[in-house]
Amino acid sequence: MDTGPALVSILRQGSYLIASVHTALDDSQMVRFQQDLIEQIGQHRSRGVIIDVAALDVLDSFGSKTLRNISEMARLRGATTVIVGIQPDVAFAMVALGMSTGSVPTALDLEEGLAYLHDRVHTGPSAVTGSSLS
Amino acid sequence: MSAGQPADALSESGSQSDVAALVPVIRRFVHSRVSNEAVADDIVQETLVRMLAAAGRVEPGMVEPYAIITARNLIASMWKEQERHRRNQHRIVDLRSPESPDEGLLQQEDKGAVAEALERLSERDRRTLMAHEVAGQDTQSLAGELGVTAGAVAAQLNRSRARLRVEYLLALEPGTALTDRCRPVLFALSGGDRRRQREVDAARHLLECDLCEKLSQPLLERGQRSDGEVRIRIRADADIVLARQTAREVAARLEFSRTDLTVIATAVSEIARNVVRFTDGGEVVVELLEEPRRGVRIVARDTGPGIADVEAALVDGYSTYHGLGLGLPGARRLMDEFAVVSEMGRGTTVTMTKWRQEG
Amino acid sequence: MDENSGIDTRTEADFLTHDAQVDEELLPQLVAHLREHRSRLREEWASRIQEAHLLHAMTPQEMAVETKSVYDNYVEVLETGSVEALQDYARDLSERIIPRGVETQEVVGIVLLLRDVLARSLFEKYQRDFGLLNRVLDAYEPAANRIANTVAVSFVDERERIIRQQQDAIRELSTPVLPVRERLLILPIIGVLDSERARQLTEQLLAGIRTHRAKVVVMDITGAPDVDETVANHLVQTVDASRLMGASVIITGLSPKIAQTLVTIGVDLSKMNTIGDLQGGLEEAERLLGYTVSRQVGSAG
Ligand SMILES: [Zn+2]
Repeated sequence: MDTGPALVSILRQGSYLIASVHTALDDSQMVRFQQDLIEQIGQHRSRGVIIDVAALDVLDSFGSKTLRNISEMARLRGATTVIVGIQPDVAFAMVALGMSTGSVPTALDLEEGLAYLHDRVHTGPSAVTGSSLS
Repeated sequence: MSAGQPADALSESGSQSDVAALVPVIRRFVHSRVSNEAVADDIVQETLVRMLAAAGRVEPGMVEPYAIITARNLIASMWKEQERHRRNQHRIVDLRSPESPDEGLLQQEDKGAVAEALERLSERDRRTLMAHEVAGQDTQSLAGELGVTAGAVAAQLNRSRARLRVEYLLALEPGTALTDRCRPVLFALSGGDRRRQREVDAARHLLECDLCEKLSQPLLERGQRSDGEVRIRIRADADIVLARQTAREVAARLEFSRTDLTVIATAVSEIARNVVRFTDGGEVVVELLEEPRRGVRIVARDTGPGIADVEAALVDGYSTYHGLGLGLPGARRLMDEFAVVSEMGRGTTVTMTKWRQEG
Repeated sequence: MDENSGIDTRTEADFLTHDAQVDEELLPQLVAHLREHRSRLREEWASRIQEAHLLHAMTPQEMAVETKSVYDNYVEVLETGSVEALQDYARDLSERIIPRGVETQEVVGIVLLLRDVLARSLFEKYQRDFGLLNRVLDAYEPAANRIANTVAVSFVDERERIIRQQQDAIRELSTPVLPVRERLLILPIIGVLDSERARQLTEQLLAGIRTHRAKVVVMDITGAPDVDETVANHLVQTVDASRLMGASVIITGLSPKIAQTLVTIGVDLSKMNTIGDLQGGLEEAERLLGYTVSRQVGSAG
């Protein structure tokens, strides 16, 4: 399992961490991803985290819950999380599945995610309108 | 293709940029028809290569249609390849294997087991089968001898072969205790007879009986995908991903929209997870439907404790409270039809269907 | 219990012998007869097609080529019992002739004519032996009907596929996603929204958000007379899905009736960004995008 190509990569860029998921993950891989990412947020005292999920085939209840958990734990460690790259079909299926309203910000792609963090992390929370992971 | 003469190099770079401009078009075309990303990307690449090779021969206005046709042909030949593979699958345990009617398989496989299996057929079945397979007597002359039509002989031969396969596999497992359900189930599987399989509830027996589950592997592989049905064993986390990806691929054959494919995959993910979390295991069966409309049906069976109150489990909140996540109610929202049958101590069967939206 | 009961294991190639319970040696005879008189029978068939005014969209040359292929495929099915090759040919033929306006009844008509031309020739050949004639026709008819059915089904399938494609194309035109300025899309919804159109609209909008990298979408439903609960629910899901892709949706032109439907299905309208008219919606959009709007200058602190 660890010998194959990396399932996820976590890169550090200044005070941000950029985590990219490269393929469909099963539940245990999701949980490990969560642990790794949280650990690194602590290690690097990151202020912002971008999770790029463009390669995920599906974001079901477990996947969405894991992302919400990550965001919440990151928040407790002082980092803002933004999810980027949710594909149109995945977004629709998530909504149709009926995930309850959460508060994880989302953005179109990495570039937008960085812009979002830039606004947020440096100017502090403001009344930015809600793109959120429901 | 690279360094040609200077004059060519110029025109070539021109056509290359033309070809590059086609990428989004080809990508959209291929991805709307092939669900597997990697396969789709391969086809896009191959199309581009062929377009580059043909660049000089295609008239300027025809580049885009030519690319679409090339991509379509590549997809079609990919399907044909899969189709050929599917058609040949039934030969795995088939004694009629054309290359080696009585040599290849009988030599490879245990002759003793074959002899024992033949012993278990009725006298008449055995004689007919041997006369046809070994002596090469055709169905017409057999029909004459037996006083029935050639068609009836052909049907009898098929039944005998199906039995022989089962008895052969059983002969390889000497001393195993059979329940009285085992043989009927295995016959139904071996004959590929869906109606009979439902009558004897073959799918559930396979979940409950280790012997039949094991023996069914070679029998099912024969019939696997025979008419758009695929089954996936569900035991561990990784099977959830496999199940949803398989469901997506099977449904893609009906040209569901990309969104519908993801909706189906998400629903499969939810119910497969329930099987992994709350039961000892089970299976997900994905089946294409033609009647009354085109669609895809997914059946998830498990040998778990069962759900005491199915009605309650289908209500939002109950499931979350009991740790089921959005499993059942979520999957129900995603699909067009949804039914749960649960028997305490025996297991649960979830059946759900998505119909193809016909314009 | 009889373990054979209910087990039907016939293969595709068996159908001829099974469906009719005929003796198999008749078919080769029959096939040989039809091959021997191929050109005469084919010409007779072609002239019957002309008399019946079928396939007038085709030139005589095309007709000659196609009737030859159909004839040969037909005889081949009788010989092998497998309709696969015929099916492929019929699909291919349909793809070629449907755009030229050939109708289903024409295709069915010519196949039935061929069936009758051949049946008549069998009748002439065997008429002196009534018993044999009956057996020949018993062998021939089920196969011939199966062939007619195969051709008709292939044609209708192909036709439906083409019609579907055309409808898709029309739908795409009827729900335009308009990029008004950088990062801003307008989605004017005009006309009756059924659930199929709502689904198309969602897919186009979400794809549009990605291609245009939109941050704000103004969905103007002034032109939509009414929506049922299913469609209303779909619209709400579209708004939520857009948010997941990082785009905010502003709804304009919400009629009291549709607002009522939304409330009925449990939508919290205070969580939706609704603005009275399109103009107001665009102003709100610009504000969200961070452009200065002259009207608001005075109120800024
Ligand atoms: Zn058993």
